[in-house]
Amino acid sequence: MSKLRIALTKGRLEDKTVELFEQMGLDCSAIRSKGRSLILHIPEPDIDVVLAKAADVITYVESGVCDMGVVGKDTIQECGSSFYEVLDLGFGRCRFALAVPAGSDFYGGYGTKRIATKYPKVARSYFEGKGMDIDVVKIEGSVELAPLLGLADGIVDIVETGRTLKENGLEIAEYVSDISARLIVNIASLKLKKKDIEDFIERIERCL
Amino acid sequence: MRRYDRITPDGAKDRLFEQCDVRREVLSALSALFSARSYREAITPGFEFYDVFDSSSSSLPQDGMFKLTDLKGRLLVARPDSTVPIARLVATRLRGHSLPIRLYYSQNVYRMVSGSNGQSGEIMQAGVELIGSSTAKSDIEVLTLAAEALKRCGLSDFRIELGHIGIYKYLINRIGCGDEQREDIRSCIESKNYAALGDLLSGFDSPAARALGQLPRLFGGEEVFEKAAVLFRDFADEDLEKVLGYLKSVYRTLQRCGLDGKLMVDFGLVNQADYYTGIIFHGYISEAGEPVASGGRYDGLIKDFGESLPATGFAVNVDLVSAALLQSGGVREQPERVLVFCREDETAEALGCIGELEKSGVTAEFCTLESLDEAVSYAKKTGIKRICVVERGCVRTIDAGGDADE
Repeated sequence: MSKLRIALTKGRLEDKTVELFEQMGLDCSAIRSKGRSLILHIPEPDIDVVLAKAADVITYVESGVCDMGVVGKDTIQECGSSFYEVLDLGFGRCRFALAVPAGSDFYGGYGTKRIATKYPKVARSYFEGKGMDIDVVKIEGSVELAPLLGLADGIVDIVETGRTLKENGLEIAEYVSDISARLIVNIASLKLKKKDIEDFIERIERCL
Repeated sequence: MRRYDRITPDGAKDRLFEQCDVRREVLSALSALFSARSYREAITPGFEFYDVFDSSSSSLPQDGMFKLTDLKGRLLVARPDSTVPIARLVATRLRGHSLPIRLYYSQNVYRMVSGSNGQSGEIMQAGVELIGSSTAKSDIEVLTLAAEALKRCGLSDFRIELGHIGIYKYLINRIGCGDEQREDIRSCIESKNYAALGDLLSGFDSPAARALGQLPRLFGGEEVFEKAAVLFRDFADEDLEKVLGYLKSVYRTLQRCGLDGKLMVDFGLVNQADYYTGIIFHGYISEAGEPVASGGRYDGLIKDFGESLPATGFAVNVDLVSAALLQSGGVREQPERVLVFCREDETAEALGCIGELEKSGVTAEFCTLESLDEAVSYAKKTGIKRICVVERGCVRTIDAGGDADE
């Protein structure tokens, strides 16, 4: 069998993925005790694990330097383009939502609304689907601040429990889409290493 | 104002030395192959009216094209594709020409890219179009030519993957959904997004919807045909059987053409809003993360330009192939380099000597430096092993023993 290379999103998704791998019976000791290394090895099946930031996982898989990747649907929606998205891994569940200052009527009036978000593409395409013009402001940190400071009329962001929103006087106006971790596969890899990759996917599926 | 006078735009790049060598080799291998198979070259304009690419069956995404306007304010685009212009050319200039028409091209196509993920916005494509024939023989010719093209480039470890758009079209028409939903379903099949596809199709309870849900999983080797036969058994539909039978017979014939072991099938090949109407295919190599060749049958496209002609063809992405060859070191060895030195008053004789050396197949470089010492150190630095010194009408050879550090 040919060696496979899989990119994992560092952080929470990485922990969940390693748990899943261990459930599948893979020896993840190298990842557990990784130190500062960024490429780690799983002996059976022969897999190199690359740890990367979410958007980079997509870049690596798209270009083919990694055969597979585990990444959140949020990142796929924001930066994805051409690869196969073969499995919903079920963990890392949360949602994209439109949140507005509590009690405000986001859709009221005729002015163009302004949305603060870390995910400009997601926000744009959501409102495009509604046939609605909006101004998008890209924010890197705590997006909840923007409406509080009067910079935006609402935010499009990832929501898990909604507690941060509540504590900052915001409420969910509507849900945009569901998010969870996905297994993505490079197009050429799936074709050229079909057997190995399909076996691996099947092993994952048995544990989901 | 900031001046962008020392960099190239996103998606564009300079090429140098061995990058040019390998690209030229690929291009000449491909043109030699195509013309040996009786294809004649066509060159279409680098920019054309936008309308050409906005025909009903081509529908290339508008936001991917570079646009400019002419003096009359008409919208032009930098050639985003070569097949559509050739369809235009055939329907207009070659109207009434005896059929089939075999054309090949090697030219750049231009696409808008973000530039942040290393994508190229200027792609050299070499390909063929076989126009005016709808026979199985023409499909096989083009498919075997695609395989041969990859072989001639020096890529022995390639795969050709076959599909047929007719299967998807048959099923999607059966479930009866709106255009938008149709595009969602298509894109889920294309990206093998099994989960989302299942959700999309859950609203349709029909055998066609169930079969659509299975399409992206139907890929692999010959065993796929059996799986497909089981999946489509309930339809007992003549048209569908015909498409399946056709795909299988093409596959069989290709096996007999020496492509056994190089072939794959993917029923989930459904290119975006494409002009394809029949067999579609991709070529893969392990060094590239995306297809290096793609093509198929497009029987409706030329009709958009006023002539109803069946056609099939493919294009090789020369840049991807060249990059793969460079990476695997599959570059042909360059001829020996010789430096020709003389004093200024013997320039004419030295240049004559260069002409002779050229005939013997070496690369002869005229030394423009003043002294022989300088010439020797230059040769050493640039890896030239031999210096011919032209002196009083005679030629003396010095072994420069240059260390190749270039």
